[in-house]
Amino acid sequence: VIPGVRVGHYDGVSAIERFPMLMAGDATFMLVESDGQEGPFAFADLESREPIRGAPVFGLKKRPGWRIVFVEGLPVAVAARVPRAKQYGGLIDRIGLWPATLGFAALAALVLFAAVQLPTVVARLVPTGVERRMGDLMIGDFGGRVCNGPGGQAALDAIAHRLGAPDYVEVHVVKIPVVNAVTLPGGKILLFDKLLQQANSPDEVAGVMAHELGHAKHRDVLAGLLRQFGLSVVLGGLGGNVGGYTNAALSITYTRAAEASADGYAIDDLKDAHISPAATASFFTRLAKMEPQFGRAGTELSYLSTHPMSSDRARRFTTSVVKGETYTPALDPAQWQALRGICANDPKAKGLQFEF
Amino acid sequence: MAMGQETATDNGAFAFTGDWREYAPIAFTNLLLSIVTLGIYSFWARTRTRRYLWSHTRFIDERLEWTGTGKELLIGYIMAFCLIVVPLGLINLIVQGVVMRGHAGLGGLILVLLYFFILYLTGVAIFRAIRYRLSRTFWHGIRGGSDEQGLTYGFNSLWRSLVGALVLGLMVPWSMTTRWNLRWDAMSFGPHHFQANARWGPLMGRYLLVYLIPIILFVGIFAFGAFFAPRSMVPGASPPVALVIGFMIFIFGFYIVLGVVAISYYAAYYREAIGTLSLGPIEFGFTARTVDWFKLVLGNLALTFLTFGVGYIFVAYRNWAFFIRHLEAYGELHLDALTQSATRAPGQGEGLLDAFDIGAF
Repeated sequence: VIPGVRVGHYDGVSAIERFPMLMAGDATFMLVESDGQEGPFAFADLESREPIRGAPVFGLKKRPGWRIVFVEGLPVAVAARVPRAKQYGGLIDRIGLWPATLGFAALAALVLFAAVQLPTVVARLVPTGVERRMGDLMIGDFGGRVCNGPGGQAALDAIAHRLGAPDYVEVHVVKIPVVNAVTLPGGKILLFDKLLQQANSPDEVAGVMAHELGHAKHRDVLAGLLRQFGLSVVLGGLGGNVGGYTNAALSITYTRAAEASADGYAIDDLKDAHISPAATASFFTRLAKMEPQFGRAGTELSYLSTHPMSSDRARRFTTSVVKGETYTPALDPAQWQALRGICANDPKAKGLQFEF
Repeated sequence: MAMGQETATDNGAFAFTGDWREYAPIAFTNLLLSIVTLGIYSFWARTRTRRYLWSHTRFIDERLEWTGTGKELLIGYIMAFCLIVVPLGLINLIVQGVVMRGHAGLGGLILVLLYFFILYLTGVAIFRAIRYRLSRTFWHGIRGGSDEQGLTYGFNSLWRSLVGALVLGLMVPWSMTTRWNLRWDAMSFGPHHFQANARWGPLMGRYLLVYLIPIILFVGIFAFGAFFAPRSMVPGASPPVALVIGFMIFIFGFYIVLGVVAISYYAAYYREAIGTLSLGPIEFGFTARTVDWFKLVLGNLALTFLTFGVGYIFVAYRNWAFFIRHLEAYGELHLDALTQSATRAPGQGEGLLDAFDIGAF
C-alpha cells in the first residue's frame, strides 16, 4: 500500500483551495478529506503543468481549472505513475531537444527544396488552356494598350513563326514607354514599344522574342507564380520580414537560373532559324552601357537582380556566332518598317495611363 | 485575512516573480526550434512563454495559470489562413485582372470594400484574442471568458474607427476609449463581469499635443529655412555645413519629439482605460507614466538592435513584467462567491490575430 501524500487542490468549480490526501492505487487515485472523498481519477488523465516554486503541478483532462499541487514533493511511488513533465512539447520531449532540432532542420531543408524545385515540374503538368484562362483572369487584354498598326502584327508573327513558336503562344506589342518584354501566364508574350524603338535591326527583336519564347515553352511564369505561393505558405509561419527575405532570396536564385536557361534556348532557336545572334549581343552591349557603372561591385550586385548583367549576356550571344554560317535577316526592310510603326500607326492604341 | 476572503491592497495585489536568467533557456530554445521548424514551433514557443510568465505572476495569494496549448494556436491559425487569407488573396488576384482590363473604378471599389472588411475582421480578431486569453487564464481554478463571439463588436469597432478618422482625426480618443469599453464590458472572470468606463475627455489634452506638434514643427522648418536661406543664396555655393547638420538634427529631433508625445498619449490612455476598469468588487489601476513607457520602449529597441535582433526574444518577457509591475487592484474578493465561469470556452486560439500579424500588446 502506497502511503498518502498531501496535495493543494482546486476542483475547478469553486475558488476555495483544499488540502486533501492523495491516496494512490495502481492506475488511479482518490482525494480524501475528513468530510469526504473525490475520485477515482486515472493517473493517465493527468496533464503536467508549470511547477510552482519547484512543486510539481498537474491538471486533469477535460476538467479545466482542476489541479493538484504536490506541496510536500512527489513521492517516488507516485512519480512513477504521473506523466512526465512537459518542457518543449509532446513530440520533442519524447525524442530529445537535439535529435528533434536536427530532424526538423533536415525536414525544413527538404520542404524548402521541394517548394523551390516542384513548381517547375507541376507547371509543365498544367494544361496550357488552364494556364491561359488563369492569365486572362489576371491580366485580360492589357486594357486596350495592344498596338495593331497595318502590317505590324503580320511582321511580328513572321518572326515568331521563324523561331518555331508553339501554337498556344501569342506575341503582341503594347504601347508602354519602357525597354522591356514580358511573358504572361498562358504563353502571352508582350514586347514594349520602346524596345522596338531602341532596337537597331529586326534580328535584335528576334533575339529578345526568342528569350521570351524560352520562358513560355518552359512554363517559367506559371512555375514562378506557384513557387512564390508555395514559399509564402511554407515560410508563412516565420512571420513578417524573416519569411519575406528568405522567400525573396530563394526565388531570386531560381529566377536567375531560369533567365540564363531562357538565354540558352534563345541561342538555339536563333541558330535553327538562321538568324544571327550577333545583333542580340550588340543590343545587350548597348543596354550594358546604359546600366550604371558599378565596377567590381556590379558583378557582385548582379546576383541580387533577377536578370544577369547585360554584359555577361552579350558575351554569351557573341560566342554563339558560328563563322561561315549564312544568316538571313529576321525581316525584310518593309516588314521591319511596319513593325516599328505598329503603335505609331495605330490611332486606337491607348498609352500608359493609370486612371485611379 | 479571514478564511475565504481575500483583500487586494495597493502594496502589491499583483507581483511578477520571474527572473530573466531563468527565462533565457526557454527563450533561446524557442528561437532555435522556431527556426528549424520554419516557424511552426512559434505557437508552442508562445505557449511555453505564457506558461512561464503566468506561473510567475501572483495576484493576492495565488499565481496565475496558463492552460492554453500550442496545438490550439496552430489550429486557429490554419483556420484563419484557409477561411480568410486565401480567399482575400484570390480576390486580390481578380482585382488585378479587373484593373488590367481598364476597369480601375470597379477595382478600386472592390479594394475599398476589402479594406473595410479587413478593418472589421481586425476588430473581431482583437476581441476574440482577449476572449481566448481570458478563457485560458486560471486563478484559484477559475477562468474568464465572454458570452459573445465578437462579430457584433467587429461592426461597432468598424464604424467607430471610421468616425474616429472623421473631423481630421480629432475623434480618435473617443473611438479608442469607447471601443475599449465595449470589448471589456463583454468580458468576464468567474461570475463577475468586467466594467469599463474609460472617458475620452481627460485624454484630449495629450491627444491635441500629438496632433499639433507636427504642425508646429513644420512651421518651425519653414521659419528655420527662411532664416538661413538668404545667406546661402550665393549662386553656385553649396549649402553651408551648419545648415545641413542643423537640418539633420531637426529631422532627428522631430521624430524623437513626436515619439515622446505619442508615448505620453498612450501612457495617459492606458492609465485611463485600466484605471476605470473593474471586475465585480475589484477595481484596477495602472501606474505607468510616460517616462516608464519611454524606458520600456527605449530598452526594447536597444535590446533588439544592440544584439542584431536576437534580444527581441526577451521583448515579450519585458512587456509582461512591465505590465504586471504597474498593474494595481483594490477591493475585497469573496472566494466563496467566486464560482466557475459559465461562458463557453473557445475551441481554438487567436488565429485571426496571428493571420493578420497584429501585435499582442
